[in-house]
Amino acid sequence: MGRKILFITTDQMRYDALGCNGGTVARTPVVDGLAADGIRYQRAHPQNVVCMPSRATMITGQHVGTHGVWMNGVALPVDAPSVARVLHRAGYRTALVGKAHFEPFIDPFLRFPENVLGRDADPDGSHAPHEGEPHRGFDHLQLATHGTGLFTHYADWMGKHAPGHIADFYSVVEPASMEVSSVRGGDTDCVQVGINNMPRGVYHTDWCVDRAIDWLDTLDPADDWFCWVSFPDPHHPWDPPQSEMSRVRWRDLDLPEGYPADRSQREALLDAKAPHWRQWYDGALVSNYEAPRDWVPATLTDDQVREVNARVHVENELIDEGVGRLLAHIDGRGWGDDTDVLFTTDHGEFQGDHGLLFKGPYHVDSLMRLPLIWRPARSSGPVTGVSVAEPVGLVDLAPTFCAIAGVEVPEWMEGQSLPRDESEAAVQKRQRVLTEWDSVHPNRTKIGVRSIWRDGFLCTSYLAGTVHDGTEGELYDCAEDPLQRINLWDDPARRSIRDDLVADLWVSLPPMREPRPIVQAPV
Amino acid sequence: MTARIGVDADVAWAAISDAEAIAEWFPNMAAAAVEGDVRTITLGSGLPITEDIVTNDADLRRFQYRITGPLPTEYHLATVDIFDLGPGDCLLVYSTEIVPEAMSYVLSGAIDAAVTNLKTRLEAGDRFGS
Repeated sequence: MGRKILFITTDQMRYDALGCNGGTVARTPVVDGLAADGIRYQRAHPQNVVCMPSRATMITGQHVGTHGVWMNGVALPVDAPSVARVLHRAGYRTALVGKAHFEPFIDPFLRFPENVLGRDADPDGSHAPHEGEPHRGFDHLQLATHGTGLFTHYADWMGKHAPGHIADFYSVVEPASMEVSSVRGGDTDCVQVGINNMPRGVYHTDWCVDRAIDWLDTLDPADDWFCWVSFPDPHHPWDPPQSEMSRVRWRDLDLPEGYPADRSQREALLDAKAPHWRQWYDGALVSNYEAPRDWVPATLTDDQVREVNARVHVENELIDEGVGRLLAHIDGRGWGDDTDVLFTTDHGEFQGDHGLLFKGPYHVDSLMRLPLIWRPARSSGPVTGVSVAEPVGLVDLAPTFCAIAGVEVPEWMEGQSLPRDESEAAVQKRQRVLTEWDSVHPNRTKIGVRSIWRDGFLCTSYLAGTVHDGTEGELYDCAEDPLQRINLWDDPARRSIRDDLVADLWVSLPPMREPRPIVQAPV
Repeated sequence: MTARIGVDADVAWAAISDAEAIAEWFPNMAAAAVEGDVRTITLGSGLPITEDIVTNDADLRRFQYRITGPLPTEYHLATVDIFDLGPGDCLLVYSTEIVPEAMSYVLSGAIDAAVTNLKTRLEAGDRFGS
């Protein structure tokens, strides 16, 4: 009998969402407890700051250029490498419960297997194998995303168990325009905020926990298993069950440290960055699909920032409680000492930082610095409250799962198993973590961004596109400037470190595969 | 989307000009029916789409259609042209104008797969349309 793996992901969660990472609002005692009993990574970055490319990195253990999912809407091929398949072949029972998003959501032709599986929605999560193996190596799938407008098991379940509450969800996309919705709501008339009157028990956070428990209960005590529980929250829209909103009163919240409340200061800070920051803020540029097209960040108010943050904190508390329920169940099955738990997210969220919401081609800590916690199985040896400062990436997750399972790390994985402490990180020569962005909006706006974090500096180089000429960049000294407000790119005194980081970036980053896969949907 | 197809232009045009034959070569399309100048296609998801056939010109080898519902299109016009490049050789050009912009990715991915499939099957000897 080997070690079990519980892999928990959230969607669009900031580093400081958790108490163990300095968060002071949401109560997250369960995940904080995992950090206290395990390893907390202080500098974990995604390899892309939107869902599909980042999730493709998690499952393949590859950088974006290698797996090819270069923007949302590009499908990860069905036969792409998958760590779940590796584990399945090694005898693990494998499940994914919650948000997958390796394939596009918007799919009226029903071209993608995830959507076919969701439409068919076998209540026991079984599905037909692809060429003799289960889809991407998961022999159990229960898919969900926010709301019920897409083909998911959760949508099917809501239709059968809570049809009267389907309309309670805020719709992420406006059906009439296929654009991310600009509908406003809540107390502050804020975009992507809605009042959701459904009971907590039918909201997708608890549903994911329930379905994971259902699957775990089908397993033999001696089974080895890999269970990926993928919560759709705290991704927008921000409409947690209204019954829970009394947990955090938005009027009581301080403004986030990263939100420059003074408008002139905010705009001056944006002007010091690459030009697309200010252009988006002013409503002069729509560069990507992930934020509402018709929303102008300059209209964001202090109270809207407070309300969005309050709602995110509530969603994060529900996740933490769900994780607690899962862990208690695993303990009850007698697996507690043999289960590794990894907790992370796919990318971050501005939540008011720099005067912005959502995400996009903006490589700063708001979107790139992620919570990542690994509590190794207690049976694997003592680990208590370790904190690792060296940079790691989501690209390192798949090799870590292999190492836990005692399976040889395949050559196609590009990361390394996560270090269990600083000394192991030093042996691994961990110095840098890389992140890339490419997007081509239907309006023809084309942006390319490449970033490296090394030696306490965050360095970003922009590719030539429709906004940038290829000479722009950003350089931040994260020790001196943790909020990344002072762009040192043009500082002559930092020219040497800048050039060294850019050279390192291009040497270290795997090239984009050719031909680049086509975009098949907006998201 | 363009594809150079190794069949006579008339063979490719037969597949395009028979408006009901689209369900035979367009992946993930469950059915197609034509009444007058209106074509109703049913997508793999079960969603029925209605289209006006705007042009079906054998001399030009040009077929045009416009989605009228229920996809959220403010404006749509698709044009399929077949150009004769000689015996056993033709060029298919499938172009789409669409508003809102976000829909372009949904349709272009499906059309890309469809044109690739049509080319493969025609060159393998399959024939569509009357």
